[in-house]
Order: sequence, then structure tokens, then C-alpha cells
Amino acid sequence: MSTSPYLRDPDVQLMLRVKDGDDSAFAQIVERFQNRLIGIFTNMFADNALAEDLSQEVFLRIYRARQGYEPTAKLSTWIFQIANNLASNSRRSKGRKKEVQFKVSNSGSQPVQMGENNVVEKSGLMPTRQLDNVELMERVQVALLDLNERQRMAVLLHRFEGMSYADIGAAMELSPQAVKSLLSRARENLREILENYVT
Amino acid sequence: MEKLSRLSTEDRENLSAYLDGELDDGGTQRIETLLVQSSVARNDVELLSKTYDLLDELPRPDAPKDFLEKTLATAKMEQVKHPISEQQWFITTQKMLILSGWTVALVVASAIGFMVTNQYVERPDDALIQELPLIQNLDRYEEVQSVEFLDLLTADEKLMEEMRKATSYEQK
Repeated sequence: MSTSPYLRDPDVQLMLRVKDGDDSAFAQIVERFQNRLIGIFTNMFADNALAEDLSQEVFLRIYRARQGYEPTAKLSTWIFQIANNLASNSRRSKGRKKEVQFKVSNSGSQPVQMGENNVVEKSGLMPTRQLDNVELMERVQVALLDLNERQRMAVLLHRFEGMSYADIGAAMELSPQAVKSLLSRARENLREILENYVT
Repeated sequence: MEKLSRLSTEDRENLSAYLDGELDDGGTQRIETLLVQSSVARNDVELLSKTYDLLDELPRPDAPKDFLEKTLATAKMEQVKHPISEQQWFITTQKMLILSGWTVALVVASAIGFMVTNQYVERPDDALIQELPLIQNLDRYEEVQSVEFLDLLTADEKLMEEMRKATSYEQK
């Protein structure tokens, strides 16, 4: 354990303190990762409430596993591995349908149903530029939700977290080569869907 | 898509990896040569890059203000309510007991199996061992040929007497 290369990771140091019973270190981990996890889950499912529940469950699992923790990887890799497993389980258990999509609200946790009509309805209420931004955001969300689940998770970990192919592979239990193919196909799909929005 | 079809799947994957800075020196050089030579590749790279940049439009909501507090409280509550069956020492002990149980069961099953096999299952050698006296004297039995002939010999008192004498003489 003393030779683990991951001991230099400050997050790993925090987790080792959690293992030793330091709850303030756990609070720091939650603070460091809460927005990141909620961001990933929100864009995975387009549902703020679900994103918060899943993020909390990630932290609770970390807390429950603290006594058996060994620094065998970067803490972020472990956390996103748990997040990926939870996302997979959530999809399986809820059987969520793709066509039901929700608009994401930055202020609250209530999901608001989103669809093409909402954009049209709002057109009379917003300045043109704002409408364009909202519409573009919604189009990108729809395009993202059109990807299969693994592509979506890989894209989010790559774009939001800036994770390398190797780290994404570790989190999703894939080889770096598989991640390369996954992200390439995801990019192609996004390009096809968003062709009209690329200037 | 028409333009894309002119690039191989490997090239497309490498273009994407090139944009992500995930290619080694050789791969990077190969893609850069391809970009110099192919307008299709240049167009692809530009479009892929611009499309990917659109992901910056996605929302990145912050956690609610009470998220940290609620998470810590829930974790604490779980700790208090933690049933004995979920505590680490209990889980470890339980695992060891299960492992020991299986080990004992395996040893007992092996011993019983050995004994049963040894006791009741006939091996090809068993018949040979059982018939060993017969096999050892097979040549003599073949010379005798029949039991009736032996009966006739034993019925002859004089002959038997002669044989006893000859045997005792040989033993001396």
C-alpha cells in the first residue's frame, strides 16, 4: 500500500482520512464531486431529481465502503465507476423511455417536460438571441440523449471531466481501444444529428 | 456521410483520437500527413471538432445548497442504523465461516467418497487377487484335467500310501 502511485492524489489522501474516521474529509469529497456528479447524471437522464438521488447514492456507497478502501486507482476513477454502475442499474430498473425527455432547470430540482412544442411556445416570450441559445441547448441535449447509454457516459466523462481514454476505460470497465471506438462513433452520431447547427 | 465513406473506420477513429490528443507520435504524424493530403479528412476534423464543441452548451447545474448537508446527515443516519449484519467485522467473520464450512464439507465428502469407492466399487484387479490361488496352480489343474480322475486316485489306498511316503521322504 505504501508504494501505491495513487497516494499522491489529494483526493486519495482525503479518502484515506475518511477511512480513518475523519468525517470532515468525507464532507470535502462531497463538496469536490457533487457538482461534477450532478452534471453527469443530469445530462445522462435529463432529470434533476434523479441526478441528485443518484449522486447522493454514489457518496453513500463511498461512505459505506470506506473501511475496506485501498488506493488502487485515482479516487475520481473509483467514483465515476460507481456512478457508471448506478447509471446502468438505474436504466435497467426504471426502463426509462428515450422519447420522454425533460428540460433541465439550473435553479431547482423539479424536472420540466421538454419537447419541440415548448421551444415554439417560448418563442413569443423570449428575445431572439435567448431563444437561439435555449433552442441550441435543447437540441444538443436531445442529440446527446439520442446516443446509446455507453456512448453518452463516455462523452460526458470525456467532455465534462476531461478524462483520458485510459481513465474512462477504467471507470467503464473497457479497454482504451474500446473507448476510442466508442467516442469516435459518438462523435459521428452527434455530427449527423447536429449537422444543421454546426457553422 | 458521403465524404466520410472515403475514410476508413480506422482513419475516422484516429481522427477523433487525434482531436483528443490520444495518439502516439507515430499516429499523430500519420494523421497530420493525412490532413495535409486529404481535404475530406480536413473537413471531417473540422466538423467533428465543431460538433463536439457544441457539448459546451449542455447545462451544468450546481448541487442544491442543502445537498452536502443532506448527504452527510443521511450517511450519519445510516451509520447509526447500521445493522450488525452489514458491519465489516461481521461480514468478514461470516465469509470466513462460510469458507471454513465449505472446506470441512469438501474434506468430509472426499473422505466418504474414498471409503465408499474403496469398499463397494469393484476394481479389475480384485478378481485377479481373489482367484490368485487358482491362477498360481493353473498348470497343475490343467494336468489333472478332471475332478473324477482325482477322486479315483484318492480312492486307491495303496497309491495314496506310496505318495505320502514319497512326500515325507522328499521333505527329509
